[in-house]
Amino acid sequence: MLTLLNEWLIAPFDYGFMRRALIASFALSLAAPPMGVFLVLRGMSLIGDAMAHAILPGVALGFLVAGFSLPMMSLGGILSGLLVAVLAGSVSQMSGQREDAAMASFFLISLAAGVMIISLGGSSVDLTHVLFGSILAVNSTSLLLIAAISSLIVITLAVIFRALVVECLDPLFLRGQGVRGSIAHGVFLGLVVLNLTAGFQTLGTLMAVGLMMLPATAARFWSKRLEGLIAVAIGIALVASTGGLLLSYHFNIPSGPAIILLAGVGYVFSALFGSQHSLLRRLRRHAAPLGAPEPH
Amino acid sequence: METQTARLRLCDLQLAQGSRTVLEHINGEFRDGAITALIGANGTGKSTLIQGIMGMLKPIAGRVECQVPKERRAWLPQQLALDLTFPMSVEELVMTGSWPSHGAFKGYCAAHYRKGREIMARLGISHLAHRPLGELSGGQRQRALIGRTLMQEAELLLLDEPFANVDSDTVEVLMTVLRDMARDGATIIVVLHDMEQLSRLTSEAIVLAGGHARWVPVESFLQQPIADSPAPFLTHAITGVGTC
Repeated sequence: MLTLLNEWLIAPFDYGFMRRALIASFALSLAAPPMGVFLVLRGMSLIGDAMAHAILPGVALGFLVAGFSLPMMSLGGILSGLLVAVLAGSVSQMSGQREDAAMASFFLISLAAGVMIISLGGSSVDLTHVLFGSILAVNSTSLLLIAAISSLIVITLAVIFRALVVECLDPLFLRGQGVRGSIAHGVFLGLVVLNLTAGFQTLGTLMAVGLMMLPATAARFWSKRLEGLIAVAIGIALVASTGGLLLSYHFNIPSGPAIILLAGVGYVFSALFGSQHSLLRRLRRHAAPLGAPEPH
Repeated sequence: METQTARLRLCDLQLAQGSRTVLEHINGEFRDGAITALIGANGTGKSTLIQGIMGMLKPIAGRVECQVPKERRAWLPQQLALDLTFPMSVEELVMTGSWPSHGAFKGYCAAHYRKGREIMARLGISHLAHRPLGELSGGQRQRALIGRTLMQEAELLLLDEPFANVDSDTVEVLMTVLRDMARDGATIIVVLHDMEQLSRLTSEAIVLAGGHARWVPVESFLQQPIADSPAPFLTHAITGVGTC
């Protein structure tokens, strides 16, 4: 029994590439889910997707200029992601069009431009690589970059946490305090872009957003508190990335989709059996009798 | 009464929504510790005036002179910007009122939590401290929001229909708290439609009509049969305009 467990769960990590992949995905699992929680709470669940497309042209340009160099591709991704965010924001402010409409327009343009640029300079193998990632090809430089970006995200999020919470809860109150909530909002969107660029190497530009959103949407079925949501989301992300890597190793399937699909299983499971608002909860409703102490 | 200070003055104020002037030549002052009711029919500019006072609407002409620091001004609009689905408890909402002293970074200390609990006790919502905002009734939510302004130590408080959709017990509690705040020197401006509540809360009112404002004592129009159709009286009351 122990041998079997060892063979399935521990032995794969004897390989250096699996260890690096595990650490990279752990770093991403700590940084991405909290962002997802805030995106869900702000009713911006699809913005992550839009941003994932927005970083593509920059990643492609970096790829065209420097080949498969993660720092160059990340830099390009960050720049184009921020550019699209700023452009979409200013177009919607100037024209009065809703921000999601401007965002949708820009991310479609970005996706087309990104795919075009990669096709100009590389093969379809490269395209698949950029779109869907290859976590098993993470080298030490990439690992350092991913860990650094993830740490930066966690620290920045901790710094802007209260401002972000108050801005989400009641933007008018924050404005009354003479604080421009848009600063917290802008920094937050910047972090989303950073996070996606950190994730694209391992999960691909299109899959990176999955580790951000799926644990966050699943967590909603387990907790009513912000801290709870974040903790559960991180937990789901950690389990999904470890499990996904192992599945990918044992069954020779692509790692990115394996991780995201596992997170997806987590979401469906939570929706069915979670402790809050899940299907099971709706079927088996009960309430504390009057006069019972308030749950803390 | 004239010797008392007034930290909020309106001087020949003109306010517009878009290109349409809503209010003009508004002159007057709000004494510290006074509760002033703001009354007028729909569309006469009550919300516009509040936005102007809060500094959220730039005047076309004239000025709002407010010596109350920005972080001590509080506004409870009728259409709340508050996201009720946000996973936050009553206690946490009340604690966000400590923004003026704690800002975005400083941690809350035990004394601050104690203050928060005292405020909740004063408003009769101690038992709701850990309840999520989404599960509160209208009255409980209003108490929690007033709790936030108490935490904020608001010195200028603007309320838009604070007693709408609120049970009578809550109205009593809120009135007591508002009077206490005024006694401590806070300037309170409250939009009210209910003449009975108005007469119990304050003795001064500003009547808005036809783009002008006039300060009138509450009893002057309570004696008249205006409850059913206040419009003719309000138009009559507005004919004189004071100077700054």
